[in-house]
Amino acid sequence: MRVPDVGVTREWAFAGATGRGVDVAVVDSGIDAAHPAVGEVAGGAALRWDRERQEIESVEGPHEDLFGHGTACAGIIRKAAPECRLLSVRVLGERLSGKGLVFAEGIRWAVRSGARVVNLSMSTGNEDLHSLLHDVADEAYFAGTVLVCAVNNVRAASYPSQYASVISVAANDATGPFDIDCNPHPPVEFGAPGIDLEVAWLGGGTIVATGNSFAAPHVAGLVARLLSKHPDLVPAEVKSVLRAVSRNALPVSAG
Amino acid sequence: MADPTAQSLLADLARLAGVLGPAVRPVDTDRLLATITRSARQLFGARACSIALLTEDDSELVYTTASGEGEDDVTGMRLPSGTGIAGWVVMSGQPVAISDLESDARFARDVAEGTGYVPRAMLAVPVNDGDRVLGVMTLLDRDDGRPGAEQDMALLAVFADQTALTLRTERALGDLGRTLLATLARAAGDGTDLAAAADRAGDEVPPVSADLLELAGLFADLQRMGEAEHRLALRVVREVTAYAARRRPRAGR
Repeated sequence: MRVPDVGVTREWAFAGATGRGVDVAVVDSGIDAAHPAVGEVAGGAALRWDRERQEIESVEGPHEDLFGHGTACAGIIRKAAPECRLLSVRVLGERLSGKGLVFAEGIRWAVRSGARVVNLSMSTGNEDLHSLLHDVADEAYFAGTVLVCAVNNVRAASYPSQYASVISVAANDATGPFDIDCNPHPPVEFGAPGIDLEVAWLGGGTIVATGNSFAAPHVAGLVARLLSKHPDLVPAEVKSVLRAVSRNALPVSAG
Repeated sequence: MADPTAQSLLADLARLAGVLGPAVRPVDTDRLLATITRSARQLFGARACSIALLTEDDSELVYTTASGEGEDDVTGMRLPSGTGIAGWVVMSGQPVAISDLESDARFARDVAEGTGYVPRAMLAVPVNDGDRVLGVMTLLDRDDGRPGAEQDMALLAVFADQTALTLRTERALGDLGRTLLATLARAAGDGTDLAAAADRAGDEVPPVSADLLELAGLFADLQRMGEAEHRLALRVVREVTAYAARRRPRAGR
């Protein structure tokens, strides 16, 4: 596909940038701050559904990674944006009940705590949550927070990844740090490395993993890097820049 | 044995069975799930394939079906639902593939706990019934000649859909069985005889249940056939599912 030649290059977008000064929230299973691939975790909250009280319980401060997945995502973000500030918002826990509500509240917590980028390597197909998550996505958009969402491989409704205001990402087979592709057939808008990646895991080690959920943090890291260099960009502009620097986007002037 | 009351009761029950049709035919869910895991394991040339389902209160994952390495040890295994890769897949609803597991001793120990088999690689996809996650389907150590994990994850998701369909059918039949019991209890309670109850039940079968009943009947027939028929049915169901997904508004692309 072709996009208009707006003079935006990878050099303009990323050169010399490190993510410094940009808060990136990982809404997932927690982050292991002791993992060498992650480095410091600047803050966060652990949210869970209190079955007895039928309400969300939120505890701010350090918490562990229950599964390893959040740590993997954090490591990928750290690699792309070494000096960003990582926030861990744990929304996945021991039970599924209340998951959707906790998920929505976790995104809202990240937006209200000032994160400019939120990585969501998960989604829900629950129709009942469509409008709630849409409200949260709108709040993020108008607050200038970029939501980066992994697309579910299963062909079914998936929120918030299919909302127009978010950046939805699937895995491509590339390996380079800037190898993102732009998909001319939305709702999946971007492809990023997500196949056979060496990722951080529990216990300080690494594993080789494949999944769209590992492609999203790659883009989240690049967005953090972009925003550290161009902090005034709003989510719509961020998306335009990502299109312009995609591997398959040829400037119109190139013929 | 020539008790006229008993004979009349049997005749009434036979009429009820006629009305209920496939609901009272045995649909062996365990056997269907075993066929699904076995077929998946063969197709992918995998060392093992398993299905774990969430308990009613979603506190645990129960490995109901397994084929291949450690199948006897895996079947019946119960783990807290927030455990390991399977737990993450269930909680996040996202499929995932992991390889080089032996490089992480802690992870391998988690996975191999109670099974005695330490895999090198695994694929795990959620088993979804609509927007509800029922459990997780896991494949260990695919054949090295298989294409990339990305493609095989998509293919494994088809088997997971088949699993969900089987479970949905079982649930529909269970609901129907309860309806039958309720009808009988009502008949006994208000003095209506069973013949009248059968007529009433015949009139009352709602349209959705009728469709599900027919589907259940077809699956019952199918399970008695060979693998070639299973594959053919899979292709048809896959096509229909893809077609329906394309027609649904907001359903992906």
